[in-house]
Amino acid sequence: MSKNLNRRDFIKTTTATTAGVATIASGITLTTFVNANESPVTDEKRWGMLIDTNKLTEADIDEMVNACQEEQGWGGETHSTGDQKPRWIKKLKVQDKTTKKITSLPLMCQHCEKPPCVDVCPTNASMKREDGIVLVDRHLCIGCRYCMMACPYDARSFAHETITDQKEHMPRGKGTVEACTMCVHRVDKGESPACAEAVDSDAVIFGDLYDANSKINQTLKKIQSSQIRADLNLNTGVRYSGI
Amino acid sequence: MSRLLVVFISLLIGSISVHADSHINIGDRAQELKDEGKSKDIHPDLREIRIMHPEFLQHKRDETLRQGVRTKRNSLKACVNCHSAADTNDEYVPIDQHGQFCSTCHQKVGTSVDCFSCHRTTPKEDL
Amino acid sequence: MSAIRYLQTEGRSFGFYALVAGLGVLILAALGGVYYMEHNGHWVSGMSNRIVWGMPHVFALFLIVAASGALNVASISSVFNKKAYKPLSRLSGLVALALLAGGLTVLVLDLGRPDRLIIAMTSYNFKSIFAWNIILYNGFFVIVAVYLWMMFERRMNKFSHKAGLAAFTWRLILTTGTGSIFGFLVSRQAYDAVIMAPMFVIMSFAFGLAFFVLVLMASYKWTERQLGDAIVDRLSNLLGVFVAAVIYFVAVYHLGNLYLAENTGVENFILFDGGIYTQLFWYGQIILGGLIPMALIYHPATKGNRSMLGLASVLIIIGGIIQLYVIIIGGQAYPMEMFPGKEILEGYGGIAQYTPSLPETVLGVSGIAVAVIAITFAVKLLPFLPESLADTNHKDCK
Repeated sequence: MSKNLNRRDFIKTTTATTAGVATIASGITLTTFVNANESPVTDEKRWGMLIDTNKLTEADIDEMVNACQEEQGWGGETHSTGDQKPRWIKKLKVQDKTTKKITSLPLMCQHCEKPPCVDVCPTNASMKREDGIVLVDRHLCIGCRYCMMACPYDARSFAHETITDQKEHMPRGKGTVEACTMCVHRVDKGESPACAEAVDSDAVIFGDLYDANSKINQTLKKIQSSQIRADLNLNTGVRYSGI
Repeated sequence: MSRLLVVFISLLIGSISVHADSHINIGDRAQELKDEGKSKDIHPDLREIRIMHPEFLQHKRDETLRQGVRTKRNSLKACVNCHSAADTNDEYVPIDQHGQFCSTCHQKVGTSVDCFSCHRTTPKEDL
Repeated sequence: MSAIRYLQTEGRSFGFYALVAGLGVLILAALGGVYYMEHNGHWVSGMSNRIVWGMPHVFALFLIVAASGALNVASISSVFNKKAYKPLSRLSGLVALALLAGGLTVLVLDLGRPDRLIIAMTSYNFKSIFAWNIILYNGFFVIVAVYLWMMFERRMNKFSHKAGLAAFTWRLILTTGTGSIFGFLVSRQAYDAVIMAPMFVIMSFAFGLAFFVLVLMASYKWTERQLGDAIVDRLSNLLGVFVAAVIYFVAVYHLGNLYLAENTGVENFILFDGGIYTQLFWYGQIILGGLIPMALIYHPATKGNRSMLGLASVLIIIGGIIQLYVIIIGGQAYPMEMFPGKEILEGYGGIAQYTPSLPETVLGVSGIAVAVIAITFAVKLLPFLPESLADTNHKDCK
């Protein structure tokens, strides 16, 4: 066990049978647990992502979108047209009205601390895990689309047609709402989301926002970053720098 | 909750008739395990799994999705992996199709299976 | 008061069967459309990830809003003790229930998974305005049903005042809740305004009364019963006031929005350069649904003319549906302000396109058919309508 793994972390993860610790740089550790966690996730962690748009090329963003489609199995719909097509993550180009500076960025579910989609959902289908990941519980989703009305980020899609051959880890079905899951099935295995993996540089950093030793926490302390629609005070888990 | 009760009771009644039959198609992997005599390791009590599987699945689904508890036990993926059968072209038939493991019983007792309106109906490609 | 005699309608005429058959065909067509939409998925509709609520929601919300408004006549009688409205109370309660049933039918049938309706009844999120609305709708059914029973059952008559008060309070909360479905959507510039709640209440007064007036006049005409001028003139005056109030609230809402720089984009869109939405707003909502009905109601040339009052009511209903179209569809079509101070060049933004498909439109319209068919059968089965509403009778009541 690494000396950087504090006692609380150690106790927390006793259920995990093996723990691999990779040291990236001095003082920064990336802790991965190979075996599935058998105890519920807690609010001692908050998963987040930092996206540096200055370091991201447009090709990188396309890669991120492709990786998401590949991982989660969306984008192959044949009947949906135009705005009906699902878009869990999309490439956005924005231009400053004054300076005319153009920025490209990937936009997906921002995994808010206070998600409007969760507040408005009549059946508790929209939900936030203790560790901050916002999901749709399709078992409870009745397809009312109120969450799509409430989301300030246009992050959610409605399955407009019958879907077959889903990924084993990512059930999707007609008549329910879906969105970025922050690749929760990978995160629970100790891996990073597919979009973050798809970028070679450190333009996209995934990690535990609370953990003072995590790369994302340390980077956020150093550099200027922002949240989209910060005025709404939703405290998003996805942060951006460069916009 | 009342819906669960309805499902439960209808399955209970259904299981009286179902119990007498042995499954014609229990799936390829499951058949192998049964032939090897290992099926008892997975389902020690056949009656229990027949009657209780909706509750097991529901409990597991909430734990997995909402709390991130990911264990193999009572996992729908594991059910599908063992109980799917391949056709003559060596391709898996969706488990909710007529004559397949899930639908055989469910059609008999007249309850619909809602799992597969979203979940994958065949084992993972590289299994 | 015992002078009022209520009587079922005969319901055997050719007109009765023709009406029921016509509405039945419309409802069957809508059910076919629902099957088509649910079987294929919503891609066959005009709705999308940008316009997530379409034509069915326009009609459903119109009907739900009108439902609570239709109860007003009963409330005026039992809460504010205006005896002249007393004979109309039963019909008022009935129209309210029928409209709500029609609206909810449409709303439910448009869900992505209508088969899971039971979940909406068993798994509640109490933070959700939508969940509150489900409780409010169900409660409305119960309270109005109890209220009707107390009006029907002589022994219970003495409680009808209290039941009426409860129903009135409940309907105010209900429409506030319906308005809040939009009013609390902070992310969308067109909706994020608390005034939506009281505006919806006023809208309900106008739409509900317009519908009630039409039902009243039609049923008395078709059953050849007498309907005195005194009561019709009162309703007509009230209707005019409500329509004016709606225009006032719409004006305040838009002026208030224009004041905020954040909202000028969407305001310009609706009021000036939004193409179809601007036209619908000015020609449909304001002129057709507001100014013309007011002129018909108050202008000396048309005042007191039953046909003109009927026309005004029809226009108020059409204008109301257009108003909800502008609010619901127009409000979604305009993109959200995601990056203040920046313009989105690619990936999001632009005005979302919406072309309602036939099935979803038929589904919406059928909500009205459900309401009317329910009223038609109910007045045949139970004595909702006074035998006569001739002026003399009404004076007796006083």
